[in-house]
Amino acid sequence: MGKQESLELLPGTLDLLILRALVRGRLHGYGIAQILKAASEDVLEVGESSLYPALQRLLLNGWVTAEWGASDNNRRARYYTLTAAGRKQLAAERAEFERMVAAIHKVLQTA
Amino acid sequence: MSKFLRRLRYWIQHRKLDAELAEEMEFHRAMLGGESGPGAAMGNTTLSREDARAVWIWPWLESLWQDAAYALRTMRRAPAFALTALLALGSAIGLNTSLFTIFNAIALRPWPVRDPARVVTLHRFGREGGGDFGIAEYRYLAQYSRSFSGLFAARNGERVNLQDRPRQLTYVSGSYFRVLGLEMERGRGFLDQEDTTGAPVAVGVISHSLWENQFAADPEIVGRHILVDDIPFTVVGVTPADFTGTNPLRNDIWIPLAARKLLRPNDPGVDRWLTSPEDCCTPVAGRLAPGATRAQAEAESAILIEQFRAHHGLNKHESRIVAAGTAWIETPHKKRQVVPVILTLFLAVTLVLLLACANVGNLLLARASARRREIAVRLSLGGSRFRLVRQLLVESMLLALGASGLGLLMALAFPGAILRRLTPDQAFRAVPDTNVLIYTAAIAILSCIAFGLAPALHGTRGRIAEGLKAEAGAQGTRRTRLPLRAVLLSVQVAISVILLANAGLLVHGMQRAEEVDPGFDVRNTTVLSIDLPASQYTGPRSMELTRDLIAVLDGSRQLPACGLTLNPPLSNATYSTSFQIPGRQGPVLHIYTNEISPGYAAAVGMRIVAGRNFVAEDSGRDVLIINEAAARRWWPGESPLGKDVLANRKMERIVGVISDTYANDLSSIEAVLYFPLNGHWGAPFIVVRDRGPASAERIAAMVKRIEPRAQVRAEPLAASFRRVLQPSIYASELAGFLGLLALVIASVGMFGVFAYVVGQRTREIGVRMALGAQPSEIVRLVLGSSVRALVCGAAFGIAAAGGISTMLAHALPGIEPLDPLAYAGVVALLSGAVALASAAPASRAMRVDPVRALRWD
Repeated sequence: MGKQESLELLPGTLDLLILRALVRGRLHGYGIAQILKAASEDVLEVGESSLYPALQRLLLNGWVTAEWGASDNNRRARYYTLTAAGRKQLAAERAEFERMVAAIHKVLQTA
Repeated sequence: MSKFLRRLRYWIQHRKLDAELAEEMEFHRAMLGGESGPGAAMGNTTLSREDARAVWIWPWLESLWQDAAYALRTMRRAPAFALTALLALGSAIGLNTSLFTIFNAIALRPWPVRDPARVVTLHRFGREGGGDFGIAEYRYLAQYSRSFSGLFAARNGERVNLQDRPRQLTYVSGSYFRVLGLEMERGRGFLDQEDTTGAPVAVGVISHSLWENQFAADPEIVGRHILVDDIPFTVVGVTPADFTGTNPLRNDIWIPLAARKLLRPNDPGVDRWLTSPEDCCTPVAGRLAPGATRAQAEAESAILIEQFRAHHGLNKHESRIVAAGTAWIETPHKKRQVVPVILTLFLAVTLVLLLACANVGNLLLARASARRREIAVRLSLGGSRFRLVRQLLVESMLLALGASGLGLLMALAFPGAILRRLTPDQAFRAVPDTNVLIYTAAIAILSCIAFGLAPALHGTRGRIAEGLKAEAGAQGTRRTRLPLRAVLLSVQVAISVILLANAGLLVHGMQRAEEVDPGFDVRNTTVLSIDLPASQYTGPRSMELTRDLIAVLDGSRQLPACGLTLNPPLSNATYSTSFQIPGRQGPVLHIYTNEISPGYAAAVGMRIVAGRNFVAEDSGRDVLIINEAAARRWWPGESPLGKDVLANRKMERIVGVISDTYANDLSSIEAVLYFPLNGHWGAPFIVVRDRGPASAERIAAMVKRIEPRAQVRAEPLAASFRRVLQPSIYASELAGFLGLLALVIASVGMFGVFAYVVGQRTREIGVRMALGAQPSEIVRLVLGSSVRALVCGAAFGIAAAGGISTMLAHALPGIEPLDPLAYAGVVALLSGAVALASAAPASRAMRVDPVRALRWD
């Protein structure tokens, strides 16, 4: 499942990046977008239109769970937490992704 | 699968989850806004939300739609399969739905009144038997009960002449229409003061259909006077069109309880009925007070009844009161009678449904093996088995949906027609409602699982490599043949044998019952009944009339044999009296009685076996005639003639012995005492030995000459005989219909299997024929295993039928559970069907051309 999908760049990759962002602990949607933006040094700006469908997809697959909590400025926010299945998926996807990048890199260098 | 559960949770809670998503995105937006001012748009919020939601819903729906479209395409490519399956399943579902529609209309629907859930009927259970209530008891309950906001009593089933036409009348308490909360079409319901014992008021409420049919929907009907048995009543109201009364029979007019005194002025029984604390038998119902429960109502009524009995110096009854819902099935003593019949009926139609499921399952199975390659290809390309099974189940569901559509169409047409045939006087509305829709949907889903799941699992089970290798001709070897097919075939045969065998038993039992000699001449006798204005005719008047009638008709030379009786053969009534033989010990017996004129025995074909017949002078004398059964029972081996007996506490002398007859049904002959007819019970019946209408018309004219207001109705005795047999006739008709339907469906199923087997093994047959096999060997080879399945199924079916019919024999007398003729008939029918179904496939197998078959690919 999903092996071919990860080739279509954004959707599959976004799931991977979200999972990676959640490794350090639970975050709300806005927090995830902030982290991705900061970690990529402002290259990746994830809009709501792709972030929330991705989060729903992760929920549906059981890779993350969601719960309501208070944000830093004391507003109600939904926090996402990585599940065990999510961790496994992250490891698998990450290995796959790195092999793919290495392969692309090699092709680009020889050509 | 857990993904499926999460999706399911989303479907169930989607409202809450959608709201959460909206709130979450609102939060995101607020945070962004804080970052770079309100202008920093996030794009189209609604669209984003839709996209996020679609993750849950869309792929599911989309794939379902794909499956359905694909299934429709496949079915269009195999129209014969689709049509056969639809017809088989549709007729079975239609049968089930029709039966349920009837059951629903008769038994499950509460009374058509305001807020029927709060209306309960009261039933009394006690040591001295159950029953309904006396009018005095009812009035006491109505006065003191606090757990009801209102109570009413209603006694139905009196035939009256309304403006010279026979109609049904119900006596009701003054509270009836108020408690039911009906919105009258015209006028009003009764007032409480219009029903006061001792101060009757001549008012009536008529039904909507009577208003339309007999009074042409007269808008001025309220206030009009109508004649009920010659007594004028004032119409005060017309019921709404959807109100059919509080009992299953059609009702035309309601009058207050107290007004029975006006309608039957000369009947001393009416006063007793209205006032006696010991009277019984009038049904009582009521509307629960706000907040009151059935248990409270039951407890309070039981206490009030005991108070009432103590007040009137009656012994303690210790009766229990049950408050039941108004749907017919909830009536406590009805339940015990009717539930076995209903269960038998539902069992029968469920068997037909099972048969249809086995049949369609087999067709699907054959198709699944034909599609083995397609399925193997899809599996090898990475389709999950779950997905494939779902695809196959969607096909089944489409079939089930189509079939339930057909079934509902049947349920629209049939139940009404069937009910009208069973009882023309009923008031049921046999149209499908929500209950019926739910029932149909439930059996569609269940049957879909029953016929679809096994073939789907079975068909997707095979290993991929095998399926890909399997060519049309090569897979028919013994090793890979699917045994499920044989099981399904056996099930079909077994079920059709069960249904056919029971049909055979019923039909044969029916024929025997028709040939029973009831002890009188059924074919050539006509019975005439006389309707008189009952308000005028009681006691002396009817005795006078009877005397005149006997004088004119009995033994008349101008007519065929003609006589009079109180109670004609096979009528629904019984009369009985206490009976003792002086000088003998033992309890007082109750024995059936009848009254006859001297000409009666000759008119109905009974014989005087010993002693003498009555003569005209016997009327008023203390003499009686007994039947042979009574003579055998009390005077075995001696002559009863001249003996004295105490009947109804009066000494009577036996002057004759008359031949036995079946009196009320055809199951047993009872001892009967015959007295000379004197007419004090009311107008007698006239019996004439002539089947045509000629004598009946002449007699009617003679009666009219004596009493111009009399109405004479003639009915051949054969009609009463058929009425007694009617339940058995309906049962055997229904069983015969179900059995034949089962046979047809099973034959189609057998044909399908035979044709499939032959088609599948064409290549093998070709090889064998090329090697010199005889056609008969080929047929045996190809159809052998199917025939074994048939024999297994038939054997099992016969055993089961024997068991079921033994149980049935208790419910329907006249059935012999091990009737060899019926079973032989079933086997003959089944063999015929097998021969018919296998003829074409077998001849195809024999005509296989070896050369072409070997080239086949």
